[in-house]
Amino acid sequence: MGTKGINNRRKFFKASAAIIGGSIAMSIMKPFELMAQKKDESENIETDKLPLWGMGVDIERCVGCGKCAEACKIENDVPKEPFYFRTWVEQYTVKKDGEVKIESPNGGIGGLKQSVPDDDIFKSFMVPKLCNHCTNAPCVQACPVGATYISPEGVVLVDDSYCIGCSYCIQACPYGARFMNPFTKVADKCTFCYHRISDGLQPACVEVCPTDARIFGDLHDKKSDLVKFLQKNPTEVLKPHLNTKSRVFYNGLSSEVR
Amino acid sequence: MSKIIFRLLLSFIVFVTVFIVIRQMVIPDSFGKQGHYRANSLEDNKARVPFYKGAEECASCHQDIYDLTFSDLHSEISCESCHPPKIDANTDCKIMPPKVEGTIEFCAQCHKMNAGRIDKGVPQLLIEEHKGDQNCIECHNPHAPWELKE
Amino acid sequence: MEEHFQHLYQALSQVDGYIYPNEIDLHWGLMIVLYPYITGLVAGAFILASLERVFHVKVLKPTYGIALLTALAFLAVATMPLVSHLQHPLRSYEIFMTPNSTSAMAIFGFVYLWYLMAVLLLEIWFDYRRDFVIWSKTSTGFKKIFYKLITLGINDTDEKSAKLDDRLGYFITVVGIPSAFLLHGYVGFIFGSIKANPWWSTVLMPIIFLFSAMVSGVALVMLIYMVVSWIRKVEIDMKCLDTIAKYLFYILLIDFVLESLDQIHRIYEAEESFDIIKVLVNGKLYITLVLMQWGIGTWIPLGVIGLFQFYKPSEKIKKAAYFIVGIFVLVGIFFMRWNIVIGGQLFSKSLSGFTTFTAVYSGMEGYLMAAVWLIIPLFILAFLLWLMPPWKKISYQE
Repeated sequence: MGTKGINNRRKFFKASAAIIGGSIAMSIMKPFELMAQKKDESENIETDKLPLWGMGVDIERCVGCGKCAEACKIENDVPKEPFYFRTWVEQYTVKKDGEVKIESPNGGIGGLKQSVPDDDIFKSFMVPKLCNHCTNAPCVQACPVGATYISPEGVVLVDDSYCIGCSYCIQACPYGARFMNPFTKVADKCTFCYHRISDGLQPACVEVCPTDARIFGDLHDKKSDLVKFLQKNPTEVLKPHLNTKSRVFYNGLSSEVR
Repeated sequence: MSKIIFRLLLSFIVFVTVFIVIRQMVIPDSFGKQGHYRANSLEDNKARVPFYKGAEECASCHQDIYDLTFSDLHSEISCESCHPPKIDANTDCKIMPPKVEGTIEFCAQCHKMNAGRIDKGVPQLLIEEHKGDQNCIECHNPHAPWELKE
Repeated sequence: MEEHFQHLYQALSQVDGYIYPNEIDLHWGLMIVLYPYITGLVAGAFILASLERVFHVKVLKPTYGIALLTALAFLAVATMPLVSHLQHPLRSYEIFMTPNSTSAMAIFGFVYLWYLMAVLLLEIWFDYRRDFVIWSKTSTGFKKIFYKLITLGINDTDEKSAKLDDRLGYFITVVGIPSAFLLHGYVGFIFGSIKANPWWSTVLMPIIFLFSAMVSGVALVMLIYMVVSWIRKVEIDMKCLDTIAKYLFYILLIDFVLESLDQIHRIYEAEESFDIIKVLVNGKLYITLVLMQWGIGTWIPLGVIGLFQFYKPSEKIKKAAYFIVGIFVLVGIFFMRWNIVIGGQLFSKSLSGFTTFTAVYSGMEGYLMAAVWLIIPLFILAFLLWLMPPWKKISYQE
């Protein structure tokens, strides 16, 4: 290997160093650019002025007709098969011997039917379930790519065009509120009907509930029905020991409910 | 510095550079603008067309039934609770009118005796004893259930 | 699609108690069982190799090269089960592009990449670099081209360069041990960090995964060493084999103690979830957990190798026993992964019911695919052993 070779090599290294240095400088710029934008954006979005959506569920009012689960499927194009639900209704029946029977055939669509004879029943009640839109959402924490996130209004959403379909969020959700949509092949879940609430409408389940057992509203708005509901009733969230700080509040929640 | 280390370092730098450059090209534009997600996804989620229109929309054609229903007992029930839409809200519902239900099974969704429904302000009936296999709407007007037909 | 629904309707009819309606579809199947299994084999094989290198366990010398190449062969396919289980496999690159810093799975992508690129490939490269140069002069065809390319144009074969290779290789190995720990500890963390699932959510999970990884990796290298020796028709180094078996015994013992600790802790604390886990272990997991994982995978191997510490039978019997023990351990660790991944999904997060798992034969998640991902690494290993046989290395005697 002569001096010529070394010179050539040196030239090559110089050239490549220039190219590499240039591209690194360019790419270093980009994150800063992003940070700058981020600042601007966050100045634009004043989260205080945005609503913070939440839902109240009044177990004392729910009659388990399943209209909510049915409406949700129609509104959000959820597969009709009984394995895919963004919301569903469970009937809890505590028997006199202490045994708890939980059932939710077809998510309660078509109305829940009493399956335990009256004589054996200690108490019975209906519990509507949906995504709890947690403040500390385990699903958002677990998503490897940022395809599920909490919107500025506090709604946990899925990015259909970005989800890789790994199911990790489904495993992470303590409430069983997520499912893998067999048609879109991405994780699917309740969005509080984001398209409706952004348009001033109520979520479909709230719209159709015949007993007003679901109260939807803005937690920031002190005059909203939801805030009044929370003031008037002792409410509880599901699985509070997991510290998910969910934004779906239950009135009349019995300790049997999981 | 040793040639080996130098070359390996160079390969490493090339690798990292290529990675960073590809990364910049592939990441969607709106990603990270508001958080660790594609900000445009919010718009995608908003873009879905609703199905349920709300009772006020129904009233534009059926004012009489609207007034009747919302005057008393069934006033908490929205039109679309019993007449679910068959077509999205942007399309005229006359193309595919919502189904009208009035069977025993339909009314039973709320009114069939169930231990979980007692004392919730919804009348609970032992339907067989109540009227046998007669269809509910033969006697009751669902929009004014307090009225009994003939 | 229809077939899938049919499958789900069947599962629905077999539900015991109450499960959330979305839980009927089991999301993680055989592929996710394979993924920690294969990653564990990698980490275990590498740690065995590192023992020889860093702690100068000279007696393990014959398995050093085999262990490294085994690790590489399995690492090459380690992510494939994961990718093939994705509903959108073509979007998998997003894990590297926009990794979510709070997601265990996202960070795993980088841990994997670091381990493959910066540790394993480099260590093998330093180990073979001098041989590549020498071999490139004597071989022809594909091998020659490969050797030439892989040397990155560095043709030094003198003592100084060999010493430097050795020093750098040693450095990489030292870095590599924590990396291997990280690699598999992290896989454990993917499960251990899911607070929604009480069967997974334990702080011991990463450590249990780590030790079970070492167990499976050591057993695999032991088996491969025996098989390769038989194929090459060379004498098996009995001292080496005995030492590996002894390590296997100790690590398996630690692994078993950790697992028992986890179970005892569960039983003693008897939290909310204990009632259903008790039913799970005594029912749906009885065969795979008690019989396969503990019986075949732990107690029999512990008993056999433990016995050999006092009673020394003939070499022939020992070899046969080690071979069978190795297979038992590999089967046992496979079922350990099975019990974690499938077992964790068999009971509902409502803690009041069970579903069933029925694996399919065909398709991306089926048994056939699983067999493919387990056999391909063996072919890769055969290829690597042909391309860079550790026994043909010309070492610089110090």
